[in-house]
Amino acid sequence: MTDQQEVPATPPPAPKSVVKRPMRPILQLLISAAIIILVVVATLLLFKYPQKLGPVFITALVVTLASFLLLLVLRHFVLVWFSYLHTRELSREEYPESYPFISIIVPAFNEVEVIQSSLSSLLELRYPYYEIIAVDDGSTDGTYDKMKEFEGNHYGVRVSVYRKENSGKADALNYGVRRSKAPIVVCMDSDSRLTPNSLRYAVNHFRDPHVGAVAGNVKVINRHNLWTKLQALEYIEGLNIVRNAQAFWRSVNVIPGPIGIFRRAAMEGTGGYDSDTFAEDFDMTVKMLADGWKIDYEPKAVAYTEAPEGLLDIIKQRYRWCRGVLQALRKQKHLLTRSEGNITTPLSLWYMIFEGLVWPAMNIFANLFFVWIALIYGMTALLVMWWLLLTILDLLIAVHAILMEREDMSLAIYAVLYRFFYILIIDVCKVFATLEELVGLDMSWGKLARKGRI
Amino acid sequence: MKVDWVNILAVVIFVSIVVTLILAVASYFAYKVREARRPKTAAELRQEGQAKVFFSEYRPEAPKQ
Repeated sequence: MTDQQEVPATPPPAPKSVVKRPMRPILQLLISAAIIILVVVATLLLFKYPQKLGPVFITALVVTLASFLLLLVLRHFVLVWFSYLHTRELSREEYPESYPFISIIVPAFNEVEVIQSSLSSLLELRYPYYEIIAVDDGSTDGTYDKMKEFEGNHYGVRVSVYRKENSGKADALNYGVRRSKAPIVVCMDSDSRLTPNSLRYAVNHFRDPHVGAVAGNVKVINRHNLWTKLQALEYIEGLNIVRNAQAFWRSVNVIPGPIGIFRRAAMEGTGGYDSDTFAEDFDMTVKMLADGWKIDYEPKAVAYTEAPEGLLDIIKQRYRWCRGVLQALRKQKHLLTRSEGNITTPLSLWYMIFEGLVWPAMNIFANLFFVWIALIYGMTALLVMWWLLLTILDLLIAVHAILMEREDMSLAIYAVLYRFFYILIIDVCKVFATLEELVGLDMSWGKLARKGRI
Repeated sequence: MKVDWVNILAVVIFVSIVVTLILAVASYFAYKVREARRPKTAAELRQEGQAKVFFSEYRPEAPKQ
């Protein structure tokens, strides 16, 4: 019966940069190549003829760089301190006797490799009262048939399967939310696997009536090569620790796609997910913060996700994340200066600008600057000191984050490689993605090929 | 003979930064080339008005009286 539901008549509007008629791929490639060449040539000229810029400019660069390094050290310590405070706060929490009814929405598009594993994990949840709503977003690979095998009642857990024309993840999530009646809604990715107790821990935060959503803890499941191990560390050290620190102020700025737990009223108040950016999770988070809701983080609500396994796939994912965040920031730019009594919203947005735009550019610049002074002035000790400082910082943060999450300590050693090359590659990708977003180059969702590791 | 660890480490860092930057720019370009060669998705084709509808809604006929 469920595959006969109404299908939306028209897909939602596409993001700004894809509203116009798409450019030919070769033209897009040429524009990308031109941007790359321009950036490389400008960088080489900057370091070849620094005297042309004048002493004031050089001084400004050095002062900016010094401030950046100071800020980096401060940022690390602030994050560690607040994440520690939040974790300590959580350890004192008591867990409720009764639990609310929950709807879990699973949108899927061409996820034949992983969908059954994902749905199986949901049937193993240790939660007393929930339903699963699986939405096939017009897959062409048999995902729907695999989903259909789960439809029905599984020891009190009702699984409903719907099929609709392809119109994007945001629309598929809205489609599922509209079909649920639960006061708490869990939105997840179809390539994710929730741990059995994740929801029990997460719903506890909703005892505070001001909490509109809870971000879960996303971990990488396929840790079998260098790239996936680096990402596993990045999720623990780079993403979760930030969410943990932000949660001390109840203002987490990204509810991750693999596990987001929402108060239904809060979600409805925002009008649901929008399809006009490529980062619908960030966009939804900003809308909730703007509505005055608090957003918390639960480290024990763990979702395992499949990370891209090759360099080009990582670049593809980060390119989409970066441009999606910029699209959402552009859409909500009025909130950058308007606090409306809630200072955490503009702060969260400025933090995203800092992390997404300023940070990558400064990191690349700092790398080039120290290489340059080592090469021109022979200040090799400065290069080594700077690099050691950052690596030791990364290593300390990694050990702290791993201990807090009781993770695999062998990942800590990857903190050295993380600083050695990984973060620089990601930052280069972010800078180019930013430039392409500013130029308004076309982009598509760019679905990653799944290996079925979950 | 005394080993100058600072200089050795500086060379390692220098080479790794330069190689990484070249690798990063090259792999970004490779990604763009791969995307340009990728077959268009149904959503992209639909946007260009060339899409064939691959999913048509199923509606059961009304039961005969």
